[in-house]
Amino acid sequence: MAFMNHLRQLLRSQYARKNLGIIILATIMLQVVLLAQHFYTHHMLERELERRAESELTMKAILIKGMLNDVNHMASNHEWDIKRNLSQPDSAFEALVRMVKYNPNIVSVGLAFTPNYYPQIKDSLYEPYALHEGNNIITKQIANAGHNYTKMDFYTKALNSDTGIWSDPYVDTVGIDKLICTYSVPIHDSNGKLAAVCGIDVSLDWLRDTINIHHAHPSSFNLLLTESGREIVKLRADHIKSRDAELVIKLINDSTVRRDSSMSRRSQVIEFKSLVDGDEGYVYYANMRGKPHWQIVVVGYDNEVYGNLFWLTLNMLLFMLAAIALMGYIISKYIRNERKLHKAGIERERIDSELRIAHDIQNAMLPTAASTRNAHAFIDITGSLVPAKEVGGDIYDYFIRDEKLHFCIGDVSGKGVPSALLMAVTQSLFNAESEHVNHPAHIMQAINHSICHNNKRNMFVTFFIGILDLPTGRLRYCNAGHDAPVIINGDVQMLPVKPNLPLGVLPDFKYEMQEFIVQPGSAIFLYTDGLTEAMNQQHEQYGSKRMLNTLTRCRQQHDITSSHLLDEANAGVQSFTEGAEQSDDLTMLAIRYTPQDFGDVLHENIVLQNDVKQIPQLNQFVEMVTHRLEFEPSLVQQMKLAVEEAVVNVMQYAFPHGTQGTVKIEAKANEECLRFIISDKGTPFDPTAATEADTTLSVEERPIGGLGIFLVRKMMDSINYEHIEGKNILTLRKYYNKQQ
Amino acid sequence: MEVNIQELEGKIIATLEGELDTAAAIEVEQALQPLYHSDGHDVIIECEKLDYIASSGLRILLGILKGAKTTGSKVVLRNMNDDIKSVFSMTGLINLFDVE
Repeated sequence: MAFMNHLRQLLRSQYARKNLGIIILATIMLQVVLLAQHFYTHHMLERELERRAESELTMKAILIKGMLNDVNHMASNHEWDIKRNLSQPDSAFEALVRMVKYNPNIVSVGLAFTPNYYPQIKDSLYEPYALHEGNNIITKQIANAGHNYTKMDFYTKALNSDTGIWSDPYVDTVGIDKLICTYSVPIHDSNGKLAAVCGIDVSLDWLRDTINIHHAHPSSFNLLLTESGREIVKLRADHIKSRDAELVIKLINDSTVRRDSSMSRRSQVIEFKSLVDGDEGYVYYANMRGKPHWQIVVVGYDNEVYGNLFWLTLNMLLFMLAAIALMGYIISKYIRNERKLHKAGIERERIDSELRIAHDIQNAMLPTAASTRNAHAFIDITGSLVPAKEVGGDIYDYFIRDEKLHFCIGDVSGKGVPSALLMAVTQSLFNAESEHVNHPAHIMQAINHSICHNNKRNMFVTFFIGILDLPTGRLRYCNAGHDAPVIINGDVQMLPVKPNLPLGVLPDFKYEMQEFIVQPGSAIFLYTDGLTEAMNQQHEQYGSKRMLNTLTRCRQQHDITSSHLLDEANAGVQSFTEGAEQSDDLTMLAIRYTPQDFGDVLHENIVLQNDVKQIPQLNQFVEMVTHRLEFEPSLVQQMKLAVEEAVVNVMQYAFPHGTQGTVKIEAKANEECLRFIISDKGTPFDPTAATEADTTLSVEERPIGGLGIFLVRKMMDSINYEHIEGKNILTLRKYYNKQQ
Repeated sequence: MEVNIQELEGKIIATLEGELDTAAAIEVEQALQPLYHSDGHDVIIECEKLDYIASSGLRILLGILKGAKTTGSKVVLRNMNDDIKSVFSMTGLINLFDVE
């Protein structure tokens, strides 16, 4: 049942049906070929049979004729001996004795004289006779009333013929009991007068051997018939088809029986059914050429000739069926494997396509320098990430917020999909935290806390966060077990980093922040260990020394643009690995800091107490500044609003209720932009960290406050906060040519 | 900064004149105190002569709107100049008030 089910299942698939069709077609074709071959072989055998039968007929005829010809020659050789001994009735005896004596095939010889040839003989008939009896030769005169040769065929026929004639064979009753054939030849005396007929009796016993010879096919046999169709030599009675001999003779003698000429037209063919076993038989027969016109017959049976062919064909049929069955089995196996492979292939294809999509998503998560969020005149930045597999566990990201470049690079332990998932999580956390936090260690701690939570697989991430204040070049950074970035300025050196701990190890670990002032024109190069641990085919690592050499060469070439650094670093590692398989994700990020200083055309300042009552003075100050810069009235209003909101914010938060303090507002303008720098020595407070107001809420949901910094962001092109040397410094920028 | 409140045809009309900055907001909030409880009367804020408004001013108007909504009356901002209007639209508040 299981097999049938399996078969049914196989047949259901179109693929299988097609193959089954091929097998059936192959079977039919093979059978047609087999059938054709069978008929062709049958035909060949038939031709071969005919050739054999006819060659047997010819051979037998030659054998018999040869023997009879010997007698003919012998008779003519002895004719002169007889002729010269015809003078007296007794004188012929000597010649006859000599004839018998020297020719062993001759049984006896008689000389039947024409009546009254010798007048001295009374009764007128006279026949001297010599006979082989054992080793002796007996002579006698045998003519008498009972043996009147003038009435016998051998005598009468020979008289009317010039040449010798052969009698039909018969069993001699006068002499010994033998199959005899008589050759009669007329004898003329020296006067040319017909004197006698010489009858030479020849033994035909040798013919038995010729006819009953052993055949290749045991059922086959030969017959020898007289011209009139009488059997000359009896077939052996013990021959298995002896009963058919009579039938064959009857058929040959019956002129109504259908017979065909053989293809060579040298013999006749009759088909018949055996009396013995009903087997199909055939008869080939032909007359001997020249006298006597005896008929030689060859009889054979189909099953002996074609029987082998039948078995051969049957065997081939069975063999072919077995071969086809085997072929079918192999094909079904093949189909099953093929389908398995096909299935596996589809599955593989699906996974591949999903991985490709994942790869694209991961690529799309990478920042591009072209996006406005990331563009700044002070910054030239290029990153590259080449995963070892379709998706990778490396990260880099950067964006600019409030005149600060936030950037990070990281490496999730492991490779492939699990790492890619954690990488995406880490990147999202970095983005979410950096949105309102300007402190790299705080960001690091928040990310670490989230990653440690539910980190059941004990994966970890080495991570580096940097926040570069673009106006000042102050870099604050925090490392979590990542490789130290390289600073390229006057020389090429590693940024001093505290290793701390990778993310995901200890949830409450306190990450330490570090600071570094990036000089204008210098570059920062960040990378993952996919670069330094890249291996060549000899399993040597690229190493940080080679990397530093490459970066030093860039510096010597006076080209440390981010794209050049990346290209060179990439070319360096590629030529090192020389086509060895990439074993780890390879990520690089190059940042070049290029601040521009246009020189200020305007520099004014005002110092206020932390009292909102002084706001009208502030507004006058802003009006004065903007009027000098010839701002449009509505832009003036916007500037007033932005600066007022920023300053009020500082007054409220930098100085707790009841404390005294001052707020200094500087207005600086250069060719590019107008800056308001608001500084105080109050409590460190970063207004840029405030979450943005949601302007879509309903009246009931809408909070009364929280619009101040929102308005500042709307009115100004950038807002930047730094806490330097105990001072909160908030810088608002308005670019002249930037469209709102 | 001048504030004038009058009642006309069952509606409370508040006229604001001048610059409503954070300093002025303290006094204006006091002056507009009655509007926080409009008791079902519609409130019209006449802004024709309002030149400037800071977030503290917005906060006062939002407070009045919240009060009016509880009694089902509406608050209409009338004759705002473009600068003031843009502040309202920037903050999304323009969708909450009735604007004439």
